[in-house]
Amino acid sequence: MSGAGIAPEARLGNDIARQFAHLAPNRAAEAIAVHLETFWDPSMRRRLEALVAAGDDSLDPLLVDAAGRLATHASRAEPDAQP
Amino acid sequence: MTATAGQSIWDPEVDFGTPAVRAADTVSVTIDGHQVDVPAGTSVLRAATEAGVTIPKLCATDSLKAFGSCRMCLVEVDGAKGVPASCTTPCADGMVVSTQTDTVRDLRRNVMELYLSDHPEDCDGCARGNCEIQALAVQVDAAEVRYGRPETRADVAHPQPIDLSNPYFAFDDSACIVCSRCVRACADIQGTFALTVEGRGFDSKISAGGTDFMSSECVSCGACVQACPTSALQEKSVVALGMPTRSVETTCAYCGVGCSFRADVQGEGDDSRVVRMVPSKNGGANEGHSCVKGRFAYGYAAHKDRQLSPMVRDTIDDEWREVSWDEAIATVADGFKALQAEHGVGSIGGISSSRCTNEEVYVVQKLVRAAFGNNNIDTCARVCHSPTGYGLKQTFGTSAGTQDFKSVEKTDVVLLIGANPTDAHPVFASRMKRRLREGARLIVADPRRIDLVRSPHVEAAFHLPVLPGSNVAFVNAMAHVIVTEGLHDEEFVRARCEDAEEYLAFIADPVHSPEATVDITGIPPEDLRAAARLFGEAGNAAIYYGLGVTEHSQGSTMVMGMANLAMVTGNIGRDGVGVNPLRGQNNVQGSCDMGSFPHEFPGYRHVSQDDVRAIYEDLWGKTLDPQPGLRIPNMFDSALAGTFRGVYIQGEDIAQSDPNTQHVEAALRAMDLVVVQDLFLNETARFAHVFLPGTSFLEKDGTFTNAERRINRVRPVFASKVGRDEWDITCAIGRAMGYDMSYAHPSEIMDEIAATTPTFAGVSFARLDEVGSMQWPVYDDSSTGTPIMHIGEFVRGKGRLIETVFVPTTERSTRRFPLILTTGRILSQYNVGAQTRRTANNTWHPEDVLEIHPADAEVRGIATGDLVDLSSRVGSTTLRAMVSERMPPGVVYTTFHHPVTGANVVTTENSDWATNCPEYKVTAVQVGVANQRGDAAVAQAREPVETHA
Repeated sequence: MSGAGIAPEARLGNDIARQFAHLAPNRAAEAIAVHLETFWDPSMRRRLEALVAAGDDSLDPLLVDAAGRLATHASRAEPDAQP
Repeated sequence: MTATAGQSIWDPEVDFGTPAVRAADTVSVTIDGHQVDVPAGTSVLRAATEAGVTIPKLCATDSLKAFGSCRMCLVEVDGAKGVPASCTTPCADGMVVSTQTDTVRDLRRNVMELYLSDHPEDCDGCARGNCEIQALAVQVDAAEVRYGRPETRADVAHPQPIDLSNPYFAFDDSACIVCSRCVRACADIQGTFALTVEGRGFDSKISAGGTDFMSSECVSCGACVQACPTSALQEKSVVALGMPTRSVETTCAYCGVGCSFRADVQGEGDDSRVVRMVPSKNGGANEGHSCVKGRFAYGYAAHKDRQLSPMVRDTIDDEWREVSWDEAIATVADGFKALQAEHGVGSIGGISSSRCTNEEVYVVQKLVRAAFGNNNIDTCARVCHSPTGYGLKQTFGTSAGTQDFKSVEKTDVVLLIGANPTDAHPVFASRMKRRLREGARLIVADPRRIDLVRSPHVEAAFHLPVLPGSNVAFVNAMAHVIVTEGLHDEEFVRARCEDAEEYLAFIADPVHSPEATVDITGIPPEDLRAAARLFGEAGNAAIYYGLGVTEHSQGSTMVMGMANLAMVTGNIGRDGVGVNPLRGQNNVQGSCDMGSFPHEFPGYRHVSQDDVRAIYEDLWGKTLDPQPGLRIPNMFDSALAGTFRGVYIQGEDIAQSDPNTQHVEAALRAMDLVVVQDLFLNETARFAHVFLPGTSFLEKDGTFTNAERRINRVRPVFASKVGRDEWDITCAIGRAMGYDMSYAHPSEIMDEIAATTPTFAGVSFARLDEVGSMQWPVYDDSSTGTPIMHIGEFVRGKGRLIETVFVPTTERSTRRFPLILTTGRILSQYNVGAQTRRTANNTWHPEDVLEIHPADAEVRGIATGDLVDLSSRVGSTTLRAMVSERMPPGVVYTTFHHPVTGANVVTTENSDWATNCPEYKVTAVQVGVANQRGDAAVAQAREPVETHA
């Protein structure tokens, strides 16, 4: 079961990360970051970044990698993520 | 736009006697001196009617194939022997027909005398004016009956009690002339075959399978009532109220089929009342057919439970206080402004409704984006078809189904996945069944043995009982077989798709084979291979799907998987093929089209697109947020985190319809200002501070867009019972918050939509009134739209084949919760039941029940009718069991129509990874015998369950 006791952003982010886990890590993290930028409210992205900064151990490593890329990404016009 | 468009003095629609013929060639005939050109194959009866020549008829009607039994429509043809029935005689070029010779007049009079000899003189229908016999008797000069005529209904040859068992219509055998129209309507139009003719000669009678209508297989679609030329089958509302005086063309507000109706009405102004709803022959979606909801279940619009005045209260524990509209709107506006001042611009948001018109939805998203200043706008499509929007946008380039409904008439193989159209989309199901009876093959992929697996004259070639949560593995296995056995369309893939090489390599991997995935899907590999071959080898193969696809943790991936399957087999871009979402609510498509998602403007354009944002910034005079806003579940989470404090909810009962009820209710309780706009004080209103009364579809003026992208007009039958239109209430909130959004008429809102959304550029109320309906995209005002999409080229250019990796859901059965619950809906009820529970539809489904396989029931000591506890890791409820072999072992099923059950008490927060559409279809549960209804269920039983037609 998922979800119990973890932050919503961690739960939702982990769900996304699992879908990209078949890709090479760099490509997966990039795709996750693009998805978060395209569909997530900025306040949720900030809370995710805060979880990463706090060392939340419930976060998927790919999600952590993706969260680290958010600050350097400009917002994009259209999603270009592979599932 | 004209004020009277779509409204008229009541007059029966012209009945042409036989269906229209679609043929390119025409023939010319002369009928009683009138020359008329008609498509080859047209009957003489229809040609005559088109020429303005009336031929008497009883067994013929233009919704049914000619039957040729009543012998009333006899004619003479120059150069031909005898007196053929004009209904079964096709026109031939140069044919000369006479319809009023002495010979045919004598024959008709004789036949009519025989009919009248067993038709009572005190026929209520004849007196009322809705029995064709009396008028026809005069027409054929049969006033005198040589064989005598029964004076009363008790004097007919075999008097029977009137069958009043159905809540909506009565069957009076004494008025029946056994013309078989009802039998044929039930068979040919509805496809249920519930009726038959028993006996011969004067002993023959219509029978609902030897029992009364309510106990029979009848699904109460009303096709028989509509077809009946006498008053033998008659709406009880017509018996009670009498005949209508005027009619209004409008659109049904139930499912996504979007049937066109003629509301037959009595009275004017506040005294107006609907006598009956008659499906429109010209309705593009339904072509004269309907279901029990659309035709009969409209009584909720005038139900006493409707709250007609605005109300406010300081806290949700206070009593409601009725206030003026001005005070209610000021309370909303002041409250929202105060929250933003204290907690930030993003602390409030709105939720639009798929039950509302495009115009009402458009102004809600405009209110949020322009007046609230954020993108916290979402819609109830979030919890049903948001994965359709995502998946089809990714693969094809636009968030909509590819076909019109008529397309199924050219389909050779139907792949039906996670949908139960005979219950949820019954009018389309009838169209599909007709094609299946013509020989098309059917593959059903569904854990349940739905009715279409085997029903009269329809049997699926394959029923693949795919285990809940394994859809992606299933669709990958289908594609694997097709690609590895060389059944794919190489030319189509090469010419029209991108990323083909990677996808073909991915899908050919043996890990996707039916044999490798059998433990995941539960489908015998030989069955899956055979089904894949059937699909791959079909001339035209089409995929139809429902919420059994979308409401999973991989709902979006599955939509893309189905798009892959359609593309690799070349089944895109022509009649008979495609990827076809069966939308749940009447305006799900429209609410999505209108920019209800927090990341998209109308027309599915991302908020970060500078050029698109500039269009709205110029028109609306506001700087708009380029970042996505919160989705509904994000709003709940943010409310519990204390950052989201107020919400405007239009026409959605999130406390009953959204998953994990406890979580939803906690979020609602956490907010400072919850504004509910609805017909009734629903479950969500228990947590509201302001209640704004809404309008029913019979009061709305606007448009709905159905599952085939068809934009239909919705016209008011009577004025708003709450004194204002919903779009105007939304605009008033905006104005009260300091943002001027004003329209004089809803047509002006559509004009704004058309001016800013390329796919709606040619849409206006005036054009809709002129042509009836249009299917977007409508790029200019010379077109009526695009029934079939992606012909020659996808919207995005090339179709995108995407590697769809199966990732199992985290929701799995355990020792504590060993069964999987899946949810859905039933024919007679609709979603949370707010409408249908306030009609006589409750007769069929007065409570939600839990379907459970006999083996699972036996080990738990459960019998049909037992009260059982249904529990998951998030909650429990109590309902009655129904032991059913429709279920596979290990899977149970229920509906969510009744708040007393509260099925969503047990569903979880799991959702589709891409869209957060809830995973309603997979919840690990336990079931056990209960002694009484649990506290949770009793506490939720706040709404009365009443039956009012």
